[in-house]
Amino acid sequence: MTFADRMLRLDRRIIFLLVGLCTLIPLLYPVGLAINISSEVRGVYDYIDSLPEGSVFLLSLDFDPASKPELYPQAIALLRHAFRKNLRVLGMTLWVSGTGMAEQVIGQVASEMGKVNGKDYVFFGWSPGVSAIIISMGQDLYKAFPSDYYGRPTNTLAVLQGVKTLRDVNYVVSLAAGTAGIETWYVFGKDKYRFELGGGCTGVIAPGLYPLLRSGQINGLIGGLRGAAEYEVLVGKKGRAVAGMDAQSVTHFTIIILVGLCNVFYFLSRSAQRRSEQHR
Amino acid sequence: MSIVLGAWVATGLTLFIFTFLYRDNPFFKLAEHLYVGISVGYTLVKAVDTVGVRLLYVPMIEEGDWSLLIPLGIGLLMLARYVPRAAWLSRWAFAFIVGVGSGLAIPRVISSYVLKQIEDTVRPLVSMTPDGLTFTASLLNPASNLNAIVLLIGVIAVLFYFFFSVEHTGPVRVAARTGIVFLMISFGAAFGYTVMARMSLLIGRLTDLIEFADPQYGSPSLVLLAATVIGLIVWSRWGGRARTGPTDSR
Amino acid sequence: MIFFRRTLPLLITFVCGIVFMAQYYVPHPSSEELLTTVNKWLQIIGGFALILGVTSLFHQHAVKIRRQEPGWGYSFALYAGMVGTIAVGLLAKGKESVDGGLTAFGWVYSYTMVPLQGTMFAILAFFIASAAYRSFRARSREAAVLLIAAVIVMIGRVPLGEYLIPISGDITQWILNVLNASVRRAILIGISLGAVALSLKIIFGIERSYLGGGKE
Repeated sequence: MTFADRMLRLDRRIIFLLVGLCTLIPLLYPVGLAINISSEVRGVYDYIDSLPEGSVFLLSLDFDPASKPELYPQAIALLRHAFRKNLRVLGMTLWVSGTGMAEQVIGQVASEMGKVNGKDYVFFGWSPGVSAIIISMGQDLYKAFPSDYYGRPTNTLAVLQGVKTLRDVNYVVSLAAGTAGIETWYVFGKDKYRFELGGGCTGVIAPGLYPLLRSGQINGLIGGLRGAAEYEVLVGKKGRAVAGMDAQSVTHFTIIILVGLCNVFYFLSRSAQRRSEQHR
Repeated sequence: MSIVLGAWVATGLTLFIFTFLYRDNPFFKLAEHLYVGISVGYTLVKAVDTVGVRLLYVPMIEEGDWSLLIPLGIGLLMLARYVPRAAWLSRWAFAFIVGVGSGLAIPRVISSYVLKQIEDTVRPLVSMTPDGLTFTASLLNPASNLNAIVLLIGVIAVLFYFFFSVEHTGPVRVAARTGIVFLMISFGAAFGYTVMARMSLLIGRLTDLIEFADPQYGSPSLVLLAATVIGLIVWSRWGGRARTGPTDSR
Repeated sequence: MIFFRRTLPLLITFVCGIVFMAQYYVPHPSSEELLTTVNKWLQIIGGFALILGVTSLFHQHAVKIRRQEPGWGYSFALYAGMVGTIAVGLLAKGKESVDGGLTAFGWVYSYTMVPLQGTMFAILAFFIASAAYRSFRARSREAAVLLIAAVIVMIGRVPLGEYLIPISGDITQWILNVLNASVRRAILIGISLGAVALSLKIIFGIERSYLGGGKE
């Protein structure tokens, strides 16, 4: 067995250890390189920034704990921006296992910015049905959510004054980790009820949403932890996303080097095989 | 106090899952089964609270909206699936759900995914400005005319690749092979983004572990890391000899 | 009996499908009222569907414990986790926090469910690295194209990459916004037409596998 063959059969636990160290060390000793802002993220930021005070902003946190590292920082940055602009924030989720996190993030940022539940924001919680809940909200918000997450009748809340259906919402942003997310909000929501729609998503589904971005069906897209970092820079308060960018850089280059080495060893192994076949 | 206890439990469970990287072992299996059990329990509580209390009990009993007996009946019909002699009754419920779902989806999907997407693909190949017709060739601007042509070629080429009712010979073969090149670039981009996503998830977990290494929580990350490593060594010496895991070097 | 077991369900699917397809094009208030009412029903029925999905898991592990099959201890841990969570959840009336303070249910969610689910998916990072090293070889021209595109995107999406090779960011943006968008658009159109065709087959009773449940 040649050296190249031996390297191709390397115990994967060595690779695991390498990846673990390449992620841990930059987190412990960050450098802080500059982050360029993409037009996709700017689309969401500029639209929220253009909304007048008192506009209605619906944030749908459509993710579960598995996607927390990517989407929770996006939620924090968006909520900070919305509360700073004094928008009326409506929070909800389409994913049952994300309800606790959704409640936590809205409560945390609201109390940080001095906002009052019922007056400045409302948290609807979760309701089953995905497409059914979106259509219900589009038809009659109070029939879809007769009470908020804490049991208060929604038709008595000051924050929902003048809001009867999704047509009265100025901007909806869905932070999505998969189906029951941005596409669902468009197909069952924006298609008929004509609100403006933006998106935030995990890196896995981001490439699949570019057709909607290009056609203007969504006006912006915050993709993955990098998108969250860009939004944190725009909002002017750096958090976990920016802190994770150095580790992201190092791990990407580690994967590139591993893939490069794999190909080098593969071609070396192949040419050694060919040479030994020629000698026979 | 509950936060400190929570930090220890969270760290312990995180490290138990990480032990899978060494080899499948009882710590991982325990954490895995707990995860399934707790997730199911959480979902059930939420379903009972949201549907049972907020959507059914309160409107029916407290507000007198008895029309909700209809969806309650349909929901119960669905559960008839578990009673062997009455399982056929569940077909009515599924028929209703699937019928309504399909009916709602068809026009909306055609409007959103087919018509709107085609509309954006067949954009003008030249632009009209006050000075007359121009051809914008900036690659950096996705809305430029050059990019509109590339986009059009890409969409048509990929559609040709997936159209198997016509033999891929002659001009169709050229279109299909162009489609393959576009597909490979897109899959490469998807792989790059997937790597980014997966690494982000790991960064998130390690950030939490670093936070829980703080003395204010009692440094559970460091203590439990040592305990888990010792536990794994003990298990592999005495319990894990006959097993092979997913991490054997073949 | 055949009517109730086979014909009636197909009739229900047909009528509901046609009515709600037509509803999209009819803006009359009664049509909108029908949409509102039925979607309210679907919210409730969706909850029952969730319970349905979860109870099959219940049954599977109960059998394992009863028969004391190998690994039944873990099934017991699963039940303990499930029953414990349900107990604290019902006690807290399904609320994770009350007046800003965490309930026991909220504690279980934040300190067990979130880390467990998060870590389950975080270990994929290791496997993607190992899989990339083992399998990502430029065996053909197409594979080489895929490899080059992946490397460009991985460089262009991180600050270090944009710092070392500034043009990588622009190329990545072009790949995503033009090349990738065109491919995904074609795939989206294809899948949507397929989904519409399948939905029509279901409505017209040609595709019946969704019915399941019981003998004909």
